Amino acid sequence: MAFDISSVEPVKISGLVPFEAREVLRLRLSQMLINERYKAGDFKIPIHLAMGHEALAVAAANAMTADDRFVLSHRNLHYNLARGARVKDVIAEFLLAPEGLAGGRQGSMNLINPDMGVIYSSSILGNNFGVAAGVALARKAKGEHGVTVVVTGDGAMEEGTFYESILFSQAQHLSVIVIVENNEWSLASRIEERRRPLDIANLAHGVGARYLHLEGNDVDAYKAAFDTLREDVLREPGAVVVEAPLSTLGDWRLKTDDFPDGKFINYHAGPAPTVDLREGPLLRADNADPVHILTERYGEKIIRDMAREILAGLEESIA
Amino acid sequence: MSAYVAYINGLVKDVLARTPNVVSFGQNISTGSCLSGLTRGLPEGDGRLTVNTPNIENTQTGIGFGLMVEGVNGIFCLKQQDFLLLGIDHLVNSWNAIRSRNPQASFTVMAIVVDNGFEGPQSCLNNLPDFCSISRIPGYTISGKTDADRVIGRHLVAPGVRLIAVSQRIFRDEIIVPAGPETVVDEENEIVRYGNGDDLSVVAMNFALPQALQAMAGAKERGLEASLFTIAAAMPTRWDAIVDHVGKSGRLILLDDVKSLNRPSDRLLLDVAVRQKQARVHAVRRTADDSWAQPNADHLDINIETVFKEIGL
Repeated sequence: MAFDISSVEPVKISGLVPFEAREVLRLRLSQMLINERYKAGDFKIPIHLAMGHEALAVAAANAMTADDRFVLSHRNLHYNLARGARVKDVIAEFLLAPEGLAGGRQGSMNLINPDMGVIYSSSILGNNFGVAAGVALARKAKGEHGVTVVVTGDGAMEEGTFYESILFSQAQHLSVIVIVENNEWSLASRIEERRRPLDIANLAHGVGARYLHLEGNDVDAYKAAFDTLREDVLREPGAVVVEAPLSTLGDWRLKTDDFPDGKFINYHAGPAPTVDLREGPLLRADNADPVHILTERYGEKIIRDMAREILAGLEESIA
Repeated sequence: MSAYVAYINGLVKDVLARTPNVVSFGQNISTGSCLSGLTRGLPEGDGRLTVNTPNIENTQTGIGFGLMVEGVNGIFCLKQQDFLLLGIDHLVNSWNAIRSRNPQASFTVMAIVVDNGFEGPQSCLNNLPDFCSISRIPGYTISGKTDADRVIGRHLVAPGVRLIAVSQRIFRDEIIVPAGPETVVDEENEIVRYGNGDDLSVVAMNFALPQALQAMAGAKERGLEASLFTIAAAMPTRWDAIVDHVGKSGRLILLDDVKSLNRPSDRLLLDVAVRQKQARVHAVRRTADDSWAQPNADHLDINIETVFKEIGL
């Protein structure tokens, strides 16, 4: 590990699988624990869970070092967890308690953890691009060595400042990685319901930025890609756009008079009513679920046992 | 003395020369005329950077806050206050996300108010108070030498965020030094009193100092000993010294050329109406109409005879 993770809950399982794989499970189970509290009505604040995003977050968070910065969006829980936030502190923050991760003053959509490099999060779509450019410029002004990672979705990247900030980062030779978590949705609109498809690679190349496509939710492959990318962007400063198609899990079907068979509800925010911690961490038996990838690779028994052990540690930490 | 813009440029350079760790950025700030001389020759080195940027005002405003969270001071200079409308999200929302951290770095937005007329409907904003109100960020206008000295000297680089507005109409004019002894009567709101006459109170808000000087000249012609008050703060929090003086003088002439419909001068007039009921008051201010949406002289005209007639003189 390149950055201090001493604050992460202890995980007792032996080294059967790499750290990043265990982290994917920790992030999933932490979110499921939060979801159970959310379903029980414990939180007044809006929370955007990111189940299905874990592989990307774990890989990016662990490839980056203590020298690097994360500038996040409203859906930031997975990166905060991946950068070492304890679920106990996150839950306290979501309860707006003084002992919360950010002192109970930031809630969910603006959750930060400066000690772990998560220095800004914004609930306003696209707002974090400009701030990230400023963070990167500050690092340059101070002569510091490090990467600024800004995370967005396919909705927020429609804002003009996405292009503006890449243009600026290119002009100033700033070491910036822009991660586009492309889940195809912006609130209740699919991409095809709101715009034409965007060729993000061409868009990036059009302003001289680099582009990387990550797909498949394989945390090991993602980690290797981010390791290389970090070296590249430090050696040759400028913006790199990383596009990762993924699914935000937790969708359900809502039965109404108009939709007796159930209307598909994409998960955006709030509790995920059909996600049940008692049923284990696997939410989908396909590549949209990083836990499925782990199960395929390491076997169901190992993943199940490891999940049980991680969950016990998490529950103990919040008891 | 020197021209208004040259004087402010000199002050900015002086502050930067003694302040390391400042990134100055904006469009054309180090090319061409350097914003008509406002940003010419900014010192570099020792952590000081001057960054000539693309035309990305939304992102630029965010950059200031990004610098701030990393502990680096930033000065964002704009050719037109109108362009800052594209950065409103950051002024409101980014600052809301950051302000509770009590950042010790400084972020200043210094914008030129295009108030010289005939620039058209989209280049004549002249409305600092609304930026300050919606963002809860303090703002200051610079009209004369004392404003310049105090606003640039005290606020250009200081913990937190503020907006500073300068007037293009008077860029090439000699910087104004009002006559009479000057007294700072309110540090926080940057209220300065010139003169010590008690026959009349004259108040200049926003960039209406030239008109206020006309009123002072009119008072002198009439044998009156007046005091002039200038308020550099765009959203003053109090004006007790002014209201008290109106209590003595019994007469107030208020000059305000701001184009906001949420005018701080309304609150001053209300305070005077409540606390100095006997005072004769006349305000010379903008009238909101469709002329704002077409090229025009954009000048706050003052008819001295009418003004003094209105206050019974």
